[in-house]
Amino acid sequence: MPARMSSRAPAGFCRSLPELGLLLLLVFVLLQGSVFPHGADASADTSHHGGDGCSSTHVKEINRTKKAFPVLSFEYEHIKTPFEVSIWVLFASLMKLGFHLVPRLSSIVPESCLLIVVGLLVGGLSKLIGDTELPKLDSKNFFLVLLPPIILDAGYFLPIRPFMENLGTILMFAVVGTLWNAFFIGSLLFAVCQIPAAGLTHLGLLSCLLFGSIISAVDPVAVLAVFEEIHINELLHILVFGESLLNDAVTVVLYHLFEEFSVFGPVTVLDGFLGVISFLVVALGGVLVGAIYGIVAAFTSRFTSHMRVIEPLFVFVYSYIAYLSAELFHLSGIMALIACGAVMRPYVEANISHKSHTTIKYFLKMWSSVSETLIFILLGVATVGGPHNWNWIFVTATVFLCLVARVMGVVGLTFIINKFRIVKLTTKDQFIVAYGGLRGAIAFSLGFLLEHEDEDMKHIFLTAIITVIFFTVFVQGMTIKPLVELLAVKKKQEAKRSINEEIHIQFLDHLLTGIEDICGHYGHHHWKDKLNRFNRKYVKKCLIAGERSKEPQLIAFYHKLEFKQAIQLVESGAGGKLSSALPSTVSIQNIQPKKPPPAPETRERVLPQLPKAREEEIRKILRSNLQRTRQRLRSYNRHTLVADPFEDGFSDLLKKQKMFELEKKIKEMNNYLSVPAATSDSPTLRRARLASDPQSYNVKPDADGVPTIQVELASPQSPDSVNIVNIVDEVKRDREKDEDMGLTMKPPSAPSKQGAEEDAKDQQKLMRCLSDPGPSADEGEDDPFLP
Amino acid sequence: MGSSSSSLSHIPDGQQLMGETGFSAAHLLRLHERFELLDKDSRGHLRPEDFEEIRELTENPVGGRIIGAFFPPEKETLDFPSFVRILAHFRPTGKNRSRDRTQPEPANSRTGKLKFAFKLYDQDRDGKISRDELLQVLRAMLGLQVTEEQLQSIAERAIQEADLNSDGAISFDEFKKSLEKVDIEHKMSIRFLK
Repeated sequence: MPARMSSRAPAGFCRSLPELGLLLLLVFVLLQGSVFPHGADASADTSHHGGDGCSSTHVKEINRTKKAFPVLSFEYEHIKTPFEVSIWVLFASLMKLGFHLVPRLSSIVPESCLLIVVGLLVGGLSKLIGDTELPKLDSKNFFLVLLPPIILDAGYFLPIRPFMENLGTILMFAVVGTLWNAFFIGSLLFAVCQIPAAGLTHLGLLSCLLFGSIISAVDPVAVLAVFEEIHINELLHILVFGESLLNDAVTVVLYHLFEEFSVFGPVTVLDGFLGVISFLVVALGGVLVGAIYGIVAAFTSRFTSHMRVIEPLFVFVYSYIAYLSAELFHLSGIMALIACGAVMRPYVEANISHKSHTTIKYFLKMWSSVSETLIFILLGVATVGGPHNWNWIFVTATVFLCLVARVMGVVGLTFIINKFRIVKLTTKDQFIVAYGGLRGAIAFSLGFLLEHEDEDMKHIFLTAIITVIFFTVFVQGMTIKPLVELLAVKKKQEAKRSINEEIHIQFLDHLLTGIEDICGHYGHHHWKDKLNRFNRKYVKKCLIAGERSKEPQLIAFYHKLEFKQAIQLVESGAGGKLSSALPSTVSIQNIQPKKPPPAPETRERVLPQLPKAREEEIRKILRSNLQRTRQRLRSYNRHTLVADPFEDGFSDLLKKQKMFELEKKIKEMNNYLSVPAATSDSPTLRRARLASDPQSYNVKPDADGVPTIQVELASPQSPDSVNIVNIVDEVKRDREKDEDMGLTMKPPSAPSKQGAEEDAKDQQKLMRCLSDPGPSADEGEDDPFLP
Repeated sequence: MGSSSSSLSHIPDGQQLMGETGFSAAHLLRLHERFELLDKDSRGHLRPEDFEEIRELTENPVGGRIIGAFFPPEKETLDFPSFVRILAHFRPTGKNRSRDRTQPEPANSRTGKLKFAFKLYDQDRDGKISRDELLQVLRAMLGLQVTEEQLQSIAERAIQEADLNSDGAISFDEFKKSLEKVDIEHKMSIRFLK
């Protein structure tokens, strides 16, 4: 098998030539500009041709027979829409790549700004070329296609605990804060409009209030984009982010309310009352719809053990349908999506396979990334293209009032909220919350949706909205990072939880519940305890398949830790031998306890050679850990998927281990590598739940002359069997002192050593389970999107 | 809420308790009401049986330990000041920067709270959480859902992680250090109703 160049090479090449990358991008931009006029021409041609045809079919027939058969024809209309969409997506992704090739740029300017600038450039270029066929940030596309992935990504990875703990605060900011913003801005703008010099007297109060409601909502897309790069502490992050998600309900209600009323005349008290009711319905209805779909999805995932490949599909489709169902009834789609993701996650994660889990994670991050990029670029394009009506007074008043309203709102609300909070919000916190109130594309799309006879007014609004968005994203987005540094705001702590923390936190939960009971005070802990009990007793039994429904959280956490530790030990061990020295003297599998090794540092334990029985033990432990371990996703960060490095590091580890073994082998014998088939009915294999997916795995050779190993796992007839190149098989055969013809393709049937057979199976399963395909199997996978 | 008489005269040493624990008069009154509610026979003091009447507490895995914290080994009865002093640990931590160094650490500071939690682990009060004590806690929390070996391994691992001076047990400082990333002020506070 010839050595295959790993895909790392081109990346390295480009990294050393950022100019080349930029040149490439420029070419693409030009291609953009040139494609569209071409498209226009081609479409003109074909339409022209078609138009002619009807009236003169007779002539056409004669014409057609006379023409030679076209060897190569150009028909753009046929593929126009998907082609353009793909080009845009590709373009957006290349932009994202491009920013990180230029090293200092992405640390100064947040990505969202850069993307808007790119959009402006593209828009400008297209205008120069004279094309008007640019895709608009169409509200329908935006709300139905571009927004859901971002929200689902946010909702699925929402850190539930801090969210629930601060729910009161978040709701206050989201509901009361947005209402305050809307009314304040709307009414003051109306006052401004009364100034005759502005020439805006035709804007009525309701129109201004409508505008206020559009512009008042903090935008989740923009907040996510900016806040992810500044790594502030969890509390502030969840406050601003939670607010941006939950204010959707308020925005929806206010928007529809004012839209109705600006058409239908004066508002009565009854209407106001109905508005309040409507708000409750929209918010709670959205959550309910989402929760229902979430439970159905969780229930479905219980039965997917035989059809692992489509598990991620259920998650995505159920969530999307939840969103659409909520939008159907004019309920809050965003809240439905969040509720769906958050409700289904604990149960789905307990049911699905490791690989589906990874797939869901990667797909969500990928889609939301692309969506976000596209949104910002299209925002830039729409700015250049859209009809504008610049009115100095209106625009400056809007920007000014937005800032003032936000600051006043946050300060005022914090004053009230702090009376009820245990951990008060400091002035620094308030500043960050106020400063983080970014507006984004949702406001723009809502403005776009406005249907009004007065086109002029719509344009004024749109211009103002765009200006505010630009201001918040550029000015606030760029300066928030230095400000965070300047004010020394607490940063996000590296989330490496120890087992101690886990134990003690659970203990404290119980303690506090007890104390609350003694005081007769039905507080936070009491209800949480009741909910947990209910969850454990009834819900988990329904929604989680098999014995995992009874696994307590502490145990799952512990398995994960042990697993990580085992990886570390394998890594520190030399020559492929798994060193023992597990920190736990007693394994989880009822194996005889051994004497605890006295080493103080758990990390640096290089032990001498081990007896085979011990190795076997260790492999059994690892195997069982793999079956039971589920990573708990702590990362809600778009750019780094990996919360802990061990998760993806295992594939590197395996590579290294295999390289050691292989080098050893190469010294001894000659190099036939082939694929032994494994027997399909070993009981250990049957127990593996991680079997079915096909996967290919590449190993980059460390030195020349060492042939690469290509591992191919085909998914054969039975979902439990596997084909794999197995180095351990070689080693086993070595030990058996078989006089070798190299490794040949013979099934290891009825092996002489039962233990070695187990090894083989274990190794297979290890590699199968743990090597994540991911976008690419190399180290590059681990690099976060940010420097 | 009942008739809340706004005078502290019903409560013996009311003012002193307020100063000591930092509770406001309203808090103390409320706690006194609760105390009297629990004290079914109106004896003026509580006994362990009174606590066991609280149903949720018996279901709580660490309920027994909590009751034990209120009743140290020598004492069979609990009077109101002791009741309040223990509950003072759970008052939200205020920002009292200008605290006199000579005064003892207030019960509701971070250290005070942690000390209380530590005492719950350390049943034999030797100042250290031994492996057995940790095992007991784990057994109580996880109960029948796990095997003995799993408990052993978790306990072993926990001790190895936290035990910095390798004496096989967790001292108070090690305990404090292992929880340094956790927001104790928030986790161990109750909002006493006004």
